[in-house]
Amino acid sequence: MRSRSARRLGLALSLLLVSLARAGAQQVTGAEQRGLLLEQDEKFREAAAAYRAALATAPGSVMALLGLERVYAQLGWPDSLVPVLERAIAAAPREPALRAAQIRTLRSLGLTDRVHQAFERWTRDMPGDAGPYREYARLLLQDGQLRTADSVLQRARTRLGTGRGLELEQAQLRAAMGEWALSATSWYEALERAPYLEQAAILSLVATPLEMRPAVRRDLLAAGRNVAARRVLAALELHWGSPQDAWRMLRDLPRDTATFSAWSEFARRAEEAEAWTVVRAALEALLRAQPTPDLALRAARAALHGEDPEAALGLVGLAERGLDSAEAAVVTLPMRLEALAALGRAAEAQRTLDAYAAHATPELQRRQRAIVAWAWVRAGDVARARALLGNDATAEASEVTGWLSLYSGDLAGARRTLRVRGRATPELVTALALLARTKADTSAATGNAFLTLARGDTLRAAVAFEEAAVSLDDARTLLIAVAARLHAATRDDARAMLLWSELATRDAEAPEAPEANLEWARALRRAGKHADAVQRLEHLILTYPNSALVPQARRELDLARGAIPRAS
Amino acid sequence: MVTPRSRLIAAALILLGALVPARAAAQFLLVPMDDEQRNHLKAYGLTYNAIKDGLRAEWFLNYRGGSFLLPDAADVRRRAGLDGVTVEPMSAARLGAIRAEIAGGNMDAIPLEKAPRVAIYTPPNAPPWDDAVTLALRYAGIEYATVFDEEVVRGDLAKYDWLHLHHEDFTGQFSKFHIAYRGAPWFIQQVQSAQTLAQQLGYPNPPALKKAVAERMRQYVDNGGFLFAMCGATETLELAMAGFDVDIAGNFADGTPVDGNADAKMRWVRSFAFANAHLEQSPFVNAQSDIDGHQVNVPGRRQPLGTFTLFSFSAKFDPVETILVQNHRTVIPDFYGVTTSFMRRVLKPGVSVLAEEEGAPWTKYLHGNYGKGSWTYLGGHDPEDPQHGIGNPPTDLSLHPNSPGYRLILNNVLFPAAKKKPLKT
Repeated sequence: MRSRSARRLGLALSLLLVSLARAGAQQVTGAEQRGLLLEQDEKFREAAAAYRAALATAPGSVMALLGLERVYAQLGWPDSLVPVLERAIAAAPREPALRAAQIRTLRSLGLTDRVHQAFERWTRDMPGDAGPYREYARLLLQDGQLRTADSVLQRARTRLGTGRGLELEQAQLRAAMGEWALSATSWYEALERAPYLEQAAILSLVATPLEMRPAVRRDLLAAGRNVAARRVLAALELHWGSPQDAWRMLRDLPRDTATFSAWSEFARRAEEAEAWTVVRAALEALLRAQPTPDLALRAARAALHGEDPEAALGLVGLAERGLDSAEAAVVTLPMRLEALAALGRAAEAQRTLDAYAAHATPELQRRQRAIVAWAWVRAGDVARARALLGNDATAEASEVTGWLSLYSGDLAGARRTLRVRGRATPELVTALALLARTKADTSAATGNAFLTLARGDTLRAAVAFEEAAVSLDDARTLLIAVAARLHAATRDDARAMLLWSELATRDAEAPEAPEANLEWARALRRAGKHADAVQRLEHLILTYPNSALVPQARRELDLARGAIPRAS
Repeated sequence: MVTPRSRLIAAALILLGALVPARAAAQFLLVPMDDEQRNHLKAYGLTYNAIKDGLRAEWFLNYRGGSFLLPDAADVRRRAGLDGVTVEPMSAARLGAIRAEIAGGNMDAIPLEKAPRVAIYTPPNAPPWDDAVTLALRYAGIEYATVFDEEVVRGDLAKYDWLHLHHEDFTGQFSKFHIAYRGAPWFIQQVQSAQTLAQQLGYPNPPALKKAVAERMRQYVDNGGFLFAMCGATETLELAMAGFDVDIAGNFADGTPVDGNADAKMRWVRSFAFANAHLEQSPFVNAQSDIDGHQVNVPGRRQPLGTFTLFSFSAKFDPVETILVQNHRTVIPDFYGVTTSFMRRVLKPGVSVLAEEEGAPWTKYLHGNYGKGSWTYLGGHDPEDPQHGIGNPPTDLSLHPNSPGYRLILNNVLFPAAKKKPLKT
């Protein structure tokens, strides 16, 4: 079986042949072509013989020489290339590819002095060329020889009278030396000549330390700097965790093709970073200039992720323009239903579902019914949700049905159907833990507590879980812990602390006791009661030494004692 | 090296231990310092506080990464549990076997008797998080006092066994930060505070005050104190001591240019570690001298970071050097500082090189005696933040509990607790 790397090599070589043939850059001789094919078949010795034959007739052939370089590397014979290179350079002294190959080869053999000699010879033979300086500086940078690389680039500026053609190396050198602002300038200059270096510039400058970032920003935004610099800076700000600043770099640019391209690229990067607010802003800006259903749909998704379902609905409306009902049922309907479900507008979701029923496949309809069932849950109508799903036994429906059983207080039913399918949300983990803990088959109070939580009313859910704890004794401590977590989430530390303290002191044997101690201590620390927090954490570590929470407790202890920085 | 004879002794002791009726509890706790240890840094705090509480401890040099032996006391176990420090209960018989192993190899057992009184030289109100030693001491739970110019000039150093200096510029030139930060509010405030303090203490300018402070530190070591310095404090303390009566500060610091003949006037006999260094007189070059090999703040001279290797010493004949290099790693990634390393060619004869970068012209970690006391220099700023810059977030040592670089700092803190044993000559 041929390896993946061999297949890649084959593809690359084929492309090389095609491109050479198309460009007519160099006539491919029979020997060279034979070498390429043998190389593709991983017959490296035979390929080497073919390339050598090609070089015997044309000693300066770049293609044959580079082929020989590749196969000698495979065979572990790089030293055999040295005399071949000498002959090739003698035959074609002004061919930069041969000179670069010579420097590469000598460096790979660790012949530092000869690398330097080869570089000097190249500069003498081609005095006005930036090539030797560029290649040598690159190698020095790769080897971390910054000082020597700096000298080479300075010498290039002196000898050539310009730094043109060396901006990339200059930028990399400055970054490696920690001269971030100068590096930013060099990267900008490099981008002017080679816009494809944008990603390299971002990767290089992203390591700029905090205190040097203002200088990099200033430099990239200096008067006259255009879209290229702003694109880089926007990407950097995203990496540095400032998505709003990132978007500010681009939003006020003049509306032209370059700007639209920048916005589109920015939206893609921001989607990767899950910075949904600015994703939406960028896509909405693009939409105003170049409205398309796809952009509107992406913007709607961003709005939904950004917890703005109302805006998502509006954007879905934009996406629907120009679509017929059959297309809308597939393309935009799921998003519309999700937005309506998030808003709890169940009746409207139901009407929408019914209106498109004729255009959706049975499979699509099942998925859409599950979304609308959640809308009914959000609206508090479990019966309608159940009725909508009917006897559907598919995975999507079963998941919702499991939750509906739980919401109705049917713990046995929930135990049968509720499973982890895909991502386990905190709510699902809690529900499964409860169902495993209690032996009860019904508990209306517990169902009500989970339903209240599903409807997004955290405050009332916390109280409901406390009430459920009274009725479900074998899961009492678990339910109290959930209530305490919800109180803490609504910033009701006083009530949370009371529940944690009860759990920690009265139910020391309960599985929730270590968590109760830890959360109680955290609440105490937030309240500035460091000594009490320390006491609680020490109790936790010494009483439950095998608890998985002990490492967290030790860190909290360090924080409470002031042994590590608070900001961390 | 473990000899056949020591193995025999060890086996005999194990057998003897097996014959002795078992006791209810272990008598000792071994704090291993090899890769079995979960929190190396807090292990130093555990040991320090045990000594402070009057317990007897021992440092088993070169045994399992430089382990500690503590009595099996309830408080010690409690603290170890809280801090996550690995301890191994040890019977007398097992301990006997270990002692036999130590006796037979390049190892030694050093009693630790008295917790040193630790002082850190730092400006008042300075945040504790920008100094590796303070970070290490706070994390390990080792108590310390802080002193600054006023206390030093007043003579308070005599109260302490151990003094730490970090990145203070004892030439009084504010680490030449005026080149990059002269407009920064924090820098302006730092300069104003220094000028005010100098005048309050009766000195015309910060360079004059810092030289007086450096002189007090020289006397402190001469009289038996132990001084540990890192980063820029190493180089500038040396320059301030050797240049006690030479103008080595630029115009921007004291209103007069550097004495053009300063190099020739330096009296290196007064310094601890270096001699014949060349002063960097240009106010526009962010370096103090050619002592530092890496010159991190001088673009054309900056050298890349490599790794440094700790030397191995004879535990029985060079116990001090051995203490200072106890570690579970011998090769450690290098880290920059205002002063990162020390060029070999400026070292005085008699200075012990504890770590160096192989093949490089610089060293990393130095130790020596001066008068009745001793000093140690470690180049660089923060072992776990190799390119730490001004304004960078502080290092959280709870994320680096096994840091070999920070262990070097803590070796120094416990070193004064070691009871000196007569050399077996």
